[in-house]
Amino acid sequence: MPYLGSEDAVRELRRALSNPNVQSDQLRYRNTVLKAIRAMSQGVDVSDLFSEMVKACATVDIVQKKLVYVFLCSYATLNPELSLLVINTLRKDCQDPNPMVRSLALRNMTNLRLPSLVEYVEQPLAAGLRDRAACVRRVAVLGWAKLHNLQPDAEIDAAVVNELYGLLRDPDPVVMVNCLRALEEILKKEGGVAINKPITHHLLNRLKESDVWGQCEVLRILQRYHPQSEDELFDILSLLDASLVSPHPPVMAATLGLFLGLCSGLPAVSLAALERVRGPLLAACGSTSRETRFTALCHIQLLLRSLPGLMGAHYKRFFCGYAEPAYIKQRKMQVLVELVNDENVAMLLDELKGYCTDVNPETAQAAISAIGRIGRSYSDRCLEILTGLLGLKQEHITSAVVQTMCDLVWVCPQCSDTVCSALEGCEEMLQDSQGRQALLWLLAAYGERVSSAPYTLEGFIDRVRSEASLGVKMELLTTTMRLFLCRPSETQDMLGRLLHYCIEEEMDMCVRDQALLYYRLLHCGIEETHKVLHGQRSDPSLGVLIGRPAEPINQWAYSFNTLEPLRQAGVETEPASRGSPEHVTFDPKPNTDLSDTLNCSQIEKLGTPISGQLLPFFFAEPLKFHQVGWGASVHSHFQISPEMFNRVQVRALAGPLKDIHRVVPKPLLCYLGCVLRFVVLLEDEPSPQSEVQSALEHVFIQDVSVHCCIHLSLNPD
Amino acid sequence: MLQTSHSIECAISDDFRSGGLLQLTIIFIFDSSVLICRNYKGDVDMAEIDHFFPLLMQHEEDGLLCPVLSRGNVHFMWIKHSNLYLVSTTNKNSNASLVYSFLYKLVEVSFCVMKYFKELEEESIQDNFVVVYELLDELMDFGFPQTTDSKILQEYITQEGAKLEVGKSKVPTTVTNAVSWRSEGIKYKKNEVFIDVIESINVLVNANGSVMSSDIVGSIKLKTMLSGMPELRLGLNDRVLFALTGRDKGKTVVMEDVKFHQCVRLSRFDIDRTISFIPPDGESELMSYRINTHVKPLIWIESVIEKFSHSRVEIMVKAKGQFKKQSVANNVEVRVPVPSDADSPKFKTSTGNAKYVPEKNMVVWTIKSFPGGKEFLMRAHFGLPSVENNELEGKPPITVKFEIPYFTVSGIQVRYMKIIEKSGYQALPWVRYITQSGDYQLRSNV
Repeated sequence: MPYLGSEDAVRELRRALSNPNVQSDQLRYRNTVLKAIRAMSQGVDVSDLFSEMVKACATVDIVQKKLVYVFLCSYATLNPELSLLVINTLRKDCQDPNPMVRSLALRNMTNLRLPSLVEYVEQPLAAGLRDRAACVRRVAVLGWAKLHNLQPDAEIDAAVVNELYGLLRDPDPVVMVNCLRALEEILKKEGGVAINKPITHHLLNRLKESDVWGQCEVLRILQRYHPQSEDELFDILSLLDASLVSPHPPVMAATLGLFLGLCSGLPAVSLAALERVRGPLLAACGSTSRETRFTALCHIQLLLRSLPGLMGAHYKRFFCGYAEPAYIKQRKMQVLVELVNDENVAMLLDELKGYCTDVNPETAQAAISAIGRIGRSYSDRCLEILTGLLGLKQEHITSAVVQTMCDLVWVCPQCSDTVCSALEGCEEMLQDSQGRQALLWLLAAYGERVSSAPYTLEGFIDRVRSEASLGVKMELLTTTMRLFLCRPSETQDMLGRLLHYCIEEEMDMCVRDQALLYYRLLHCGIEETHKVLHGQRSDPSLGVLIGRPAEPINQWAYSFNTLEPLRQAGVETEPASRGSPEHVTFDPKPNTDLSDTLNCSQIEKLGTPISGQLLPFFFAEPLKFHQVGWGASVHSHFQISPEMFNRVQVRALAGPLKDIHRVVPKPLLCYLGCVLRFVVLLEDEPSPQSEVQSALEHVFIQDVSVHCCIHLSLNPD
Repeated sequence: MLQTSHSIECAISDDFRSGGLLQLTIIFIFDSSVLICRNYKGDVDMAEIDHFFPLLMQHEEDGLLCPVLSRGNVHFMWIKHSNLYLVSTTNKNSNASLVYSFLYKLVEVSFCVMKYFKELEEESIQDNFVVVYELLDELMDFGFPQTTDSKILQEYITQEGAKLEVGKSKVPTTVTNAVSWRSEGIKYKKNEVFIDVIESINVLVNANGSVMSSDIVGSIKLKTMLSGMPELRLGLNDRVLFALTGRDKGKTVVMEDVKFHQCVRLSRFDIDRTISFIPPDGESELMSYRINTHVKPLIWIESVIEKFSHSRVEIMVKAKGQFKKQSVANNVEVRVPVPSDADSPKFKTSTGNAKYVPEKNMVVWTIKSFPGGKEFLMRAHFGLPSVENNELEGKPPITVKFEIPYFTVSGIQVRYMKIIEKSGYQALPWVRYITQSGDYQLRSNV
């Protein structure tokens, strides 16, 4: 940051620092140094003062010393030669009778981060390990780790490592824990500090002496220990039982992590441990710190995957307070959905209904989709609430309700009647593209039952020129086609207009290709078109929420008590993953049915420049298949790496398509029976080609030999 | 310029594999400039911090704000304290709960050490940035938490607040002491201990009047002004002790989340349930607990809020003291939300006075003293504009603040406090009980 007049300021400071009058007056000298540090923390480049500061270092005033050290550590890497001058002072300080001065000097010596100084630092560090004062030993132990970090490839001094192992028995608990930390760092290549039986028992016995941080460290490192017998294992577990219900959430979590690691072969014990932490976890959910609450909620979600009944009786603890931040409310709702049962469903829905009118649109949306998920098990009650919400005539609520209904119908086809009657008249309230896409999908699937469907579509088609959203245009094409199949007389004219516009005027290649595809499909006759487009309208196999099988703990134990559970959250609530039923299902479903229908031999990517972050793939394959709605299963596979595929669209076409080579750039395939069009929308930067490819292979082509040509130029920019 | 550009950063380094905590921590300010920044391990580029604020803003706009923000493989874990952001960065899959605990510890400790300043905020950081640097150095080394006890840290830190004296190179006694939380040689003319038993009531009541959740958060606070190394023993009533140890599963409430100060000898407590300890000097929290039980809301509110669109809002609030007749609630404040476009307020109260706070869209009804068993009434009338505000408004709950002295909901009582010191001086313990409102919300049905 350019700082006005900074040069003058630096010049001024230098003059003051080298003024003998200032130097002789302790207080003035210190104040000048202070000014320099202040300038530094305000972003002024004061590195020019380095040599003056080196001189200021030689003082008896410990306050000034500290100030100078702050300065030196910030700029040492810029002035390696001058830093050499400081070393002498620092080494002298290491002999000081005051242990605070010794530890200060030692710490800053290692904080300079200059590989050239290593040889001067080693001797004081070695002496520091044997210092009388614990505070010096603490610094010295970590100093060795810092040295190693500075030169990761340097030879490891076995004597030092031995000494560090010896210091594990140091009376000071911080020295002990620091030794563990240092050894972990130094022996990283060998897999970290060696954990054997005597060390484990020693650490466990002294666990209580350490503070929260130390306990967490020890518990984490002990995860690597494998008890030699079951008796020993249970001895360890009973010793740690008290920590499992520790009031400090980090200790509780670290202990549970260790339990899960030690008991990976004993699922019953692990489950019992989960039961045991219920109390402390609930307490953490009520913590005054929002972040602790958030972390606890995220981890509860993990636990619920293996023990769905864990929190059942405590559902009220997950009700949201008015002033809670949106991220906590959304997490709580996700937990509430998991806790629903016959007794509490009325209460829960009532509560969720209250959140639907939250001022924060994202929270309202999350509440509505939570109701939709509960609707899989209790569809009548939920539909009543959802249709009631449409009456509020709020744009974002209507949009969320339509999207939720779309999801719900996909899983519970029996809801379709209510949904169809609710759809009438809500298109005026829909402004965002996701909501409109969902409406279009519903009209496509149930167009014959919505009397006003052609009129709604007509409105969309009249405005197609000004339509900005690609997704809406694509959805509009498909919907018009499908509606044409069931209500030809009403829609023929508008379909013609739409196809004409999309083929002749539309600038986006994707939309144009799709329109061409449909146009040619219509040429093949209404029978073929019907076969291709008459897709599945629902996938009841996704099933209800209640009674899902519990996952084994191993599925998530590795990510327990890390950052990962907190981040997964974001992906799941991502509004972008919603839209039409293909994209919404969260429940993973095995893909057994996939490979037997699909026997594809070629995969080809369309090499046209594509708008924005869109990636179309064309699958061509010789066999016929008449099924469209694979979205569900496809999506669940792409969830393997959700950050890569934010959204997946699948269209399947079946039927003889003579002109297919005009769609696929190269006429690779001599016997094209049908085409599966597969579009992956990437929200972020395009991932490396190989990743996309391997994910695709994983999904579609597991046991088929495939010639893959996915071309780059995914993003024209 | 001078005024705006600062921020602290402490660095912490983290590393899931090699056990550290964070790589950097920063305290930010509103205008996004870094006040103080400490890079503990050097694994994360300092320049990454510049991305934090834009990232925060963007997530806030999208409504996707979350305590973890990521950019590439760098993750920012942050907390906000008054106008400061404390940010830690890491590129490992670190232990999130530990990081947040540390950041909160940092706030707590800074607050204690800079005791000349009431709050940890931008200005106090600016005036004390050297202390903050020192603190960051003592708290953490190479990304590993070291000394985090504020009493000890106070001795390490050579500069007290903004006061500058020529440094004395006195060795802090706690560095080598057996009792790390208390220094030797403390002297008082008059030896006293003040014990405060404080219970906060959290209640959430649904619009239809049913209590959705309620709990009590209690703490025993000490203010110790005792000479030497006194040995204290605190006696609590049996009912509470049974609850504490969970031995009596029958009628007593179960205390969860019981935390003792590190000075309490837990082994002794486990054996004979005596709470014995050598207290830290000055103020400290001896224990804290939480009781998750169905408590009758001490102040019950019934409200009727009628909204006549385009014309007016009529509010009737009835407050009832549901506690013993002998007790009195002080400084009761009932905060009733009103629509943001309401105007021309009129009030009528049976006691206390009501005030319209337009910037918070609420009516605050204050009652200085509220005896148990009594009932009071407040009516309010607001005009509404004829052109209606189309935007959806939230439904904030009615909140209540109060304080009831000489009374605890859980029934916890201090039976005795024994003070034994080598020199055999006489010391006086003083006990005070207060029950106060915590998060006390009653949803309204507007």
